Amino acid sequence: MNASSMMPTWPNAPPPGAQPPYSVHYPSPAYTPVQVRQSFSQPYPPQSQYTVPHAYGPPQIPTPPQTNYAVNVNHTPSPPVPVVAQEPPKKKIDWPESVRNYVQRSFLPANLDESVSRPEMEAKLKETISQANDTGVMYTIDWDTMLLPQQMIKEERARARALQAAQAIQPPVQQYMAHSLRDTKSGDATPVSKKRKSSDLSDVDMSAASVPPWRNGSNRLEDRVTFSTSTEKRPTVEETPSKHMSKFQKQLEKRQKRFDGGYKSTYRSPSPPPVAGPVVGTCQTLEKRYLRLTSAPIPSMVRPEPVLRQTLELLKKKWKKEQNYSYICDQFKSMRQDLTVQRIRNDFTVEVYEIHARIALEKGDLGEYNQCQTQLRALYQLGLKGKPIEFKAYRILYFIHTANRTALNDALADLTTAEKEEKAIKHALNVRSALALGNYHRFFRLYLDTPNMGAYLMDMFAGRERLAALCNICKAYKPEVPLRFITEELGFESDADAAQFIIDYQGQHLLEDRPAGVAFLAGKAGQLFEGPRAAAFRRVDIKGQI
Amino acid sequence: MDVLFGDFADAQANRDGYQLSRTLSPDLPHDRLRALWKSCNAHDVKNVLKRNIQNSASGLNRLSHDETQGWVEVYYHYWKAVGELLALQEPSAKSPQASWTKVYEVWRDMLSGLIRGYNNHGFEAWTIPCLYVAGKHLRVFAIRADKERNNNNNSSFNAPGQNFQDDFDPESEQAQQLEDCARQLNRIFNLCLSDRAPLEESRKWGIYYVINLLFKTYFKLNSASLSKNILKALSAGRGDMPPLSAFPKSQQVTFKYYEGVLNFLEENYLEAEKHLTEAWGLCHRNAMRNKEMILTYLVPCHLITTHTLPTQKLLEPYPRLQKLFLPLSRCIKKGELHAFDLALQEGEDEFVKRRIYLTLERGRDVALRNLLRKVFIAGGFVEPAKEGEAPARRTRVPIAEFAAAISLGSQETIDDDEVECFLANMIYKGLMKGYIAREHGKVVLSKNGAFPGTGV
Repeated sequence: MNASSMMPTWPNAPPPGAQPPYSVHYPSPAYTPVQVRQSFSQPYPPQSQYTVPHAYGPPQIPTPPQTNYAVNVNHTPSPPVPVVAQEPPKKKIDWPESVRNYVQRSFLPANLDESVSRPEMEAKLKETISQANDTGVMYTIDWDTMLLPQQMIKEERARARALQAAQAIQPPVQQYMAHSLRDTKSGDATPVSKKRKSSDLSDVDMSAASVPPWRNGSNRLEDRVTFSTSTEKRPTVEETPSKHMSKFQKQLEKRQKRFDGGYKSTYRSPSPPPVAGPVVGTCQTLEKRYLRLTSAPIPSMVRPEPVLRQTLELLKKKWKKEQNYSYICDQFKSMRQDLTVQRIRNDFTVEVYEIHARIALEKGDLGEYNQCQTQLRALYQLGLKGKPIEFKAYRILYFIHTANRTALNDALADLTTAEKEEKAIKHALNVRSALALGNYHRFFRLYLDTPNMGAYLMDMFAGRERLAALCNICKAYKPEVPLRFITEELGFESDADAAQFIIDYQGQHLLEDRPAGVAFLAGKAGQLFEGPRAAAFRRVDIKGQI
Repeated sequence: MDVLFGDFADAQANRDGYQLSRTLSPDLPHDRLRALWKSCNAHDVKNVLKRNIQNSASGLNRLSHDETQGWVEVYYHYWKAVGELLALQEPSAKSPQASWTKVYEVWRDMLSGLIRGYNNHGFEAWTIPCLYVAGKHLRVFAIRADKERNNNNNSSFNAPGQNFQDDFDPESEQAQQLEDCARQLNRIFNLCLSDRAPLEESRKWGIYYVINLLFKTYFKLNSASLSKNILKALSAGRGDMPPLSAFPKSQQVTFKYYEGVLNFLEENYLEAEKHLTEAWGLCHRNAMRNKEMILTYLVPCHLITTHTLPTQKLLEPYPRLQKLFLPLSRCIKKGELHAFDLALQEGEDEFVKRRIYLTLERGRDVALRNLLRKVFIAGGFVEPAKEGEAPARRTRVPIAEFAAAISLGSQETIDDDEVECFLANMIYKGLMKGYIAREHGKVVLSKNGAFPGTGV
């Protein structure tokens, strides 16, 4: 979300390549004031409220310059480049070393405070720094003695608490920022952090409910609001006609515009639309629960690739040891999410999806499997390494299972001549054509000899194909066939299995003991298996979600 | 500008929607585009347009104030689109950012202007051909914009608002504009569908044109299945919709074609055949390309539903279809199983591309049937049981004979169980009448019509 929050990723120093262009735009971080105000009005704002403001305003997603994209696309064990920019690009700022140290200091584990959440800290940091920048004191402030954001927040809370208790409104008192301004101006560069702590505590009551002085001049939320409304309300050429309209018409028009998006397309000022770019994560925790995103991702909650690589190793181990699918699936989903929001698409991405796909297959979670497979297809198309043969074969088998002809056709169209000769793909294609031609004989031969993990997929439709074959046999053979024939033709493990299958569908009367073995009275079956067959083919759950 | 509004006035006077729609065409010779663009500037364009529109009609035809406003909006965006098109045609330092994306966006604004015109400014239903022109070119511009962006190869990262997804969506990244276009066309669709005015002056008359555009777009987007939603919405409102036959023939043909293909893709061959046959019957006889497209699906349909093949004469005017279907047809007719497999493989890429591979593959059944039939005939007759009866065909055929016939082409022996499997399929599908007596290694065929529909 902002450059400052990125810092802790680099405990030592940012990579050399990223050193000079710490170019960060802080044009109008409009949401920060909102946040602070909430903390005033509500003494103990719940965690969630701090995140709410992110939903407002344009997506505050860092936008690295175009060149950085390339870095992410292919081959990126290299750490994410913490270059962050925000629209609208007005001026570029090179953050001075002092500011960067300040940010780094804020995130030192020793300085972290449990009662202050990361997003809060980030917001505070951003507010402080951009304020300093806007007022032009960035280079003059003594950042080394500046109060850390967590301290500021705690003080704010204390003040709010005090306000509630005292119900007294006092004139504003200069605070940390102002302090330090004054300090620097007066040349007082003595370390004040310790002192300030105590002094600020004594200030608490007096400063309660005050509007910080630096916010008087430029309340950025309002700036933004007036800015945007002014562009919308500015009497443009386009809008002049409306003043001739009746009031009713105008309202109608307005309502209409709201519906058909006319505002957007016609009445928007020509300012460039918000440009969204990939987030660069800073989270260092290996495990993370999956949560569906409902707003722009927060960098501190997103793990960068090096961390994700460790996560993958951890998950692989855990899966081997514990086989806890719901945990693993959840973890993989959050990994995929982190990869996606950071636009990481490289061989590692492929690996993550491939492993998740295999695990999902093994557990019969076709929904997740299908999501992975769709991604994999696109990733392979980017020319990334992985196991395209294996997964293209699964893909064909999967579409056979879901009886999705259109997708099957697409899957066929995807194959090159060379790929068609690969063992796994050839197998899948043979399965497909055997089924298309009703060649159950060949199908069950192929079923018993499936490469990789394709058998997990074939298991899912072997049952219905057995029913289909049984229908065929019952209509074609008279008067009977040996049960062994069924066992062999339909790929059962044993005669007992075959018999059980027949009995499961109420066919016990069709089995008779003979001196030479059990016979299956195919000629007497009639329509017995037709109903179950039709039902089995109807019931293809495309989503396969579990 | 004068030419444009001369036509505009004429069209308004005659209430001629098509003439009116031509004034919104972006397909103009370069110098006309240029003249149009130069005829006014950004400052006075709206006033100029307004004056022109007000002057264009007089007396009874005089446009209401509202309507005038609506048209000013439309032509204003049209004029801007012309500017963008010109910028593309004459690249200059002044407009380095000219792109199809921009053309697309301005054009979309024009379409929005039109839609607003109908909703708010009282545009009359006879002007709907303007929607056709807007929609038709929107689609063209969208495709060009997507292509341009994909060529520049920075497509995948420009999509705003994609960040909330857990996985990225490659297809929508590649066809951003076209997907948006589909949404815009859907707006037109709803605009037409939801008009409650009496039929004579209803926008419902625009519905099939838009539906056809939507179908085209969905097919291009590889999401033909979305078309079903349209058909559903359509059949829900069919009660107060004019019958399809009352619409222009061109629209009927296109609609029937798509309806047929949609059914084809879902393997409803009977329905598909019905619609395609209608399209075939309505199609203009010189519209060779359209007829070719219809036949591409109608021929495989026929093969499945009636087991019949296209005649040489039918395909004569279509060299491409001959190449597509004749080799296969020959093999099916002669019952050359192996040759059929080879021909199918040969044409696989083309078949897959046209989405007829999976259907044609099923022609193998017919080829096999014909081969087995030959075996049956070659088996000759047996002595009649009683004197005086006509000699009967030999109906007990050893499986080995069928097996020999099947492996004749490929020279590969296949095991008897697999041959039985083929035979069982034939019997199950009703292509052959009889049963397999496994114990005796024989097939017992029906005395009357062992191969239904083939005369034996």
